[in-house]
Amino acid sequence: MQLLDKLTILADAAKYDVSCASSGAPTRSSKGKAGLGSTNGAGICHSFTPDGRCIALLKILLTNFCLYDCQYCINRRSSDVPRTRFSPAEVVQLTLDFYKRNYISGLFLSSGIIRSVDYTMEQLVRVARLLREEHLFRGYIHLKTIPDAAPELIAEAGRYADRLSVNIELPTERSLVQLAPEKRVVSIRQAMQQIHHGEQQAQQERRAPRFAPAGQSTQMIIGADATDDSTILHNAQTLYRSYRLRRVYYSAFSPIPHSPKTVPFAAPPLLREHRLYQADFLMRGYGFQARELLGGPGNLALDIDPKLAWALAHREQFPLDLNRAEQQQIARVPGIGMLSARRLVALRRERRIRLADLLHLRCVLDKARPFIITADYRPSQAEQESASLRQQLRDSPAQLALW
Amino acid sequence: MRTLYVDGTFAGWREVARQALLQGLAPHQLHWQDADSCPGLFDHGQAALPASTGHLRVPAQLLQQLECAARYRGEARWSLLYRVLWRVVHGQRSAALAGDPDGSELQRRIKAVRREAHHLHAFVRFQPAPAVSEVDLLAWFEPRHDILAWASRHFSERLGQQRWLIATPADGVHWDGQRLHHHRHCPRQWQVWATQPDSEGQALWQAYYSSTFNPARVNPRALKQHLPSRLWRHLPESTLIPQLINQARHGAQHHSQAPVLLRRPGKRIAPPDSKD
Repeated sequence: MQLLDKLTILADAAKYDVSCASSGAPTRSSKGKAGLGSTNGAGICHSFTPDGRCIALLKILLTNFCLYDCQYCINRRSSDVPRTRFSPAEVVQLTLDFYKRNYISGLFLSSGIIRSVDYTMEQLVRVARLLREEHLFRGYIHLKTIPDAAPELIAEAGRYADRLSVNIELPTERSLVQLAPEKRVVSIRQAMQQIHHGEQQAQQERRAPRFAPAGQSTQMIIGADATDDSTILHNAQTLYRSYRLRRVYYSAFSPIPHSPKTVPFAAPPLLREHRLYQADFLMRGYGFQARELLGGPGNLALDIDPKLAWALAHREQFPLDLNRAEQQQIARVPGIGMLSARRLVALRRERRIRLADLLHLRCVLDKARPFIITADYRPSQAEQESASLRQQLRDSPAQLALW
Repeated sequence: MRTLYVDGTFAGWREVARQALLQGLAPHQLHWQDADSCPGLFDHGQAALPASTGHLRVPAQLLQQLECAARYRGEARWSLLYRVLWRVVHGQRSAALAGDPDGSELQRRIKAVRREAHHLHAFVRFQPAPAVSEVDLLAWFEPRHDILAWASRHFSERLGQQRWLIATPADGVHWDGQRLHHHRHCPRQWQVWATQPDSEGQALWQAYYSSTFNPARVNPRALKQHLPSRLWRHLPESTLIPQLINQARHGAQHHSQAPVLLRRPGKRIAPPDSKD
């Protein structure tokens, strides 16, 4: 089979893994040296596909032959798709060629399970080793880690890769048992634990070999089962805390050809996915707890963003005086982000904050107005009922139409 | 009103601005001109301000911000810088902060310049160079602001011992493997080489682009938001976009597989137990 044909099949097979991050790697440079590639911690999106998602890495499977039969996966063994396999040399060639042309910042390599878990993991590691040791490639490498792979293989993967990821796949153990019969939560978590341990060691001991310096991430499929957002966010929070994950990716389940009856054949729930990312961002960047965003069972509101939903449910904490409040509190105001909060605090050391300052800072004034007090402004809407405020501030239907 | 001339570089502006500040010339007394606002300016001699000596204290961070904003091509390019500098030196420190009208414009320009540098890092597309060019890779780019000399250093970190050049309608840079050479006027020959089509080398990339796209998630609005169409002309994959969107929206297919794979013969795999 031609290289072009293989690439067509194995990129199609790999696109369900949504991670595209190329950030968080240590500073590396090839200036004046043999080899190729640099990283500086920041990621670069080199292109965007018509689904609005970025291309930062060459994201492919080594092979889409697979012994597993995960119902939600296009590559499951019972799926009727064309199958092929790259040789390690072909992956290396593609990576280096794309990299020189500035199409990508690195490689994200995963694979179907062939022969055995260890054999598969070995193949992945081999490609990374070729790139790093023979071609002195200093770009970004993300390797998928197969649960149940031998610890020494995971350790080796961590030496070559910037990021490792083990997919949690589904939000609950029950769903995993139903839809991914060959996978087990306990081995997924063991692999995460080993990666976490490797990272800690590398940080604590100066002479320890480097280990996945851009950390680990995972992916959860949304909408393939009936799990609610509350369970999803609480699980994500547990994962962040237990294994110090850098990211949990939420992947709205996309219908696949010859779909089995066990999974829905419906448009992917994109807006729900979007709200989960917003909530996740509030947990990672703003110090929100999962229980603040969703106290009981249920889903996030679709018509308003999670920060606005939280503020409307906590009117007693508002309006907030921007000339007095802590930066952390200001960042909790709808329409004011972390950066603007920091800038407001810097500005008020010079003079009092006025409403126009928020305009200059490009805050979303309509959302912020009912929740703030400035030197020249006090909201008349402060007495307004939350229900009517919500009606007024909800995202317009045009913005909801992601599909 | 006095007219001051800038040679188009930050270092040149800085020298003139220093003299103006030392002489106590307020922003409203000055009119700034450079080769863009007054073509042919440097064909003639020009009256410089008489040199004064003295000390000025300007925070290093402000200087960095002014240097960054100076790369912005636009109205009042030099006068904004001088107004901010004047106000800060006279005690209005908020003049450089985003909450101030001048500061807001300064910060907006810095952001636009950084964004354009990021566009260069992201969307430059190198192609193999013809042998006579004595470089390995070359690229064409049309930056909105004067970022090339500053932002292209990124590629000397990235491309190791590869030699490369980037041509633009205005200036050009060349990395010879050791040093970066900036030409304020891009050599014509570079522009010719860099705009040659490279259809062969792009086939793999276009195949990748089509396959990694998920038609079940098609969202042209999000695409436009992240990838403004003015940048499309740099990207070999952009010619595919209309067709991919069209297929995803109006095709018979409602799942996520790439349409080219749709009718290809597949292969089911026997469960592991049945082989034993």
